[in-house]
Amino acid sequence: MRVRRWLPLVVVVAVVALALRACFGRRSEPEPEVVAADSTLAGVRAVTLWFASAQGESLSAEPRDLPEASDLHARLAALVAGLAQGPRQGGARTLPAGTALLHAYLDDAGLLTLDLSSPFRLGFHGGARAEELVLGSLVRTVSSNLPEARRVRIVCAGAPLATLGGHFPLDQPLDPEDWP
Amino acid sequence: MTAGARGVALAFAVALAAGPSPGAHAVRAWAAGTRASAAAESARVPGGLGVPAVPVTGMDGVPVVGANDLARLLGASRTWRADVRKLGFKIGEHRITFTEGNPFVIVDDHMLRLGHAPRSRAGELQVPAEFARALPEGPGWPRLAYDADANQLRVAPVAGFVGAPRVVAHGGVTSLVIPAEHAEAAVVAGRSRARFRLRVAGALVGALPDSLPDDALLRDLAVSATAGGVTFELAVDPTATGWRLERDASAGRVTLLLARGPVGFEEFAPEGAPGPRVLRTLVLDPGHGGADPGAQADGADEKSLALELARAVADELHRRSTVRVVLTRADDRDLPQEARAEAANRAQADAVLSLHFGATADGAGPAGSGGPVAWCAPAAPTSGGGAGYSEHGPESAAGVLELLPWRDAALPRAVESRGLAESVTSALERDGFGPTSVRERLPFALLGVQSPGVLLECGSLTDPNEMSRLLSPGGLKKLATAIADGVLAWQRGD
Repeated sequence: MRVRRWLPLVVVVAVVALALRACFGRRSEPEPEVVAADSTLAGVRAVTLWFASAQGESLSAEPRDLPEASDLHARLAALVAGLAQGPRQGGARTLPAGTALLHAYLDDAGLLTLDLSSPFRLGFHGGARAEELVLGSLVRTVSSNLPEARRVRIVCAGAPLATLGGHFPLDQPLDPEDWP
Repeated sequence: MTAGARGVALAFAVALAAGPSPGAHAVRAWAAGTRASAAAESARVPGGLGVPAVPVTGMDGVPVVGANDLARLLGASRTWRADVRKLGFKIGEHRITFTEGNPFVIVDDHMLRLGHAPRSRAGELQVPAEFARALPEGPGWPRLAYDADANQLRVAPVAGFVGAPRVVAHGGVTSLVIPAEHAEAAVVAGRSRARFRLRVAGALVGALPDSLPDDALLRDLAVSATAGGVTFELAVDPTATGWRLERDASAGRVTLLLARGPVGFEEFAPEGAPGPRVLRTLVLDPGHGGADPGAQADGADEKSLALELARAVADELHRRSTVRVVLTRADDRDLPQEARAEAANRAQADAVLSLHFGATADGAGPAGSGGPVAWCAPAAPTSGGGAGYSEHGPESAAGVLELLPWRDAALPRAVESRGLAESVTSALERDGFGPTSVRERLPFALLGVQSPGVLLECGSLTDPNEMSRLLSPGGLKKLATAIADGVLAWQRGD
């Protein structure tokens, strides 16, 4: 009789004990290590793209994460594509729509040749200020993300380009220091 | 209005109340389209350049503004109830009710008490000017400012106010202190001693000092209105060696420091010898032409406008001077850049002005134009080479004449080119075409040109405000007059 009387109490105590173990017992176990997916750590590169400021007085920087690429062409193509798509944080696009990188070549002296697709020339209808912004955004974006490029030569569709819109010469490589 | 903004506004009031400072140098002032004389007594700036304003008059010693003027300033529609002598204003969603002879004013669902009651004069209700300070803040409410100095009531522009500048000379450093609600937006637009230009966002309220301290490194000070702001143009003493701009947004103050000697200051732009310049022949080069229309927008094309402008500038110079003007093209034709340079060199040009207009197209580029921009060759080679170019030509460190590539023929004239650019943009700014800027970058149009030269982009075809002004009757002629003013000022060595 005495055992029957205490049986419910024993059961309750046992249940409570099991519940407490379930809640606090895990603390003594080692925490599982949180491992981020590889795609969030590798394969992405932080870059800076330069677009025209909203008023067009200057260039403004926009940080981006672009897919990591090992070869030069892919890295530069992603930068040019980012510029051609335009800013996401205000400001204005500089490169004519449809501009893409055809080829890129970096020589031992740091001269980077960018061969851009024909929309770069055919799609530009702006004036001198717009042309300065186009060249500035291109040179500054390339130089800030590819420090080994000490000078930038711009050609279009595989041929030399004397000027983009008739306002600034492109017959010589552009020095990033002249496009601060 | 924030507490900081109120502080700045208070500072403006103090600045407005301040009297002239003693000194010797004269101060000039001009408004867009109107230039005052250089006499000290005319130094007062027309209050609030470019800002809508209405006159304030006195009525038994109380400054008042006519209700009609006030409604125009606020953009309000009016209703007059003669039976109860009440005048109602409706400004968007807001309502204001004045009652003749009653100092209480109902603003939306609030009641304000003015120090004096609105009263009638010649059939028009006169509202005490103190009402400007009583207006509530918030969406849909304009900010008004009462300028007791100019007896005007003004609407504060979005860019805020710029207060009266002070000039302080102490210890070899001269400070130009300018109260500004958006001090962070101040920029140096020109850095030559002869025409140092400081652009500050906002509308000027108040006056320039009547004179400058004797020992100031500032010989002259002028101001003109530009889009969204004002431009202070300084003539800096030739002995000044550096400048520094300090923007204190929290204090609402811009300070330009001019110094002689100490390090930590930025250099002025290189300048040529002072005095008049030889200008027998000016070559005007209308940009583009033939199959190359240049920029296009709304039926206007750059090649036609540039040619029309070149003709107008030529007419203006023929009328006012003996300068021979040669156009690289007098009609609509293709003209390679080499041919333009050859035309200028054959004409033995003393200066070349390449005239252009800008545009943004296809959604690329900024929406606004930002005003005219002049490009000239940089005063030092842009890349490669160690030669420094001067007015006398390219010389190595050893003084031996070096060969200069054909394309770089304009570089030795960089200093004079900069002077021409400063003169022309300064004239444009004075005539209301600002804001302007000068940039040092060798333009394509000046490759091979042996004389001082400037590429001038006069405005944007895609900027509706600029185009309406340019295409209005006499608009292009006014632009041509301003350019001719600049060219002749450069010739005189002003």
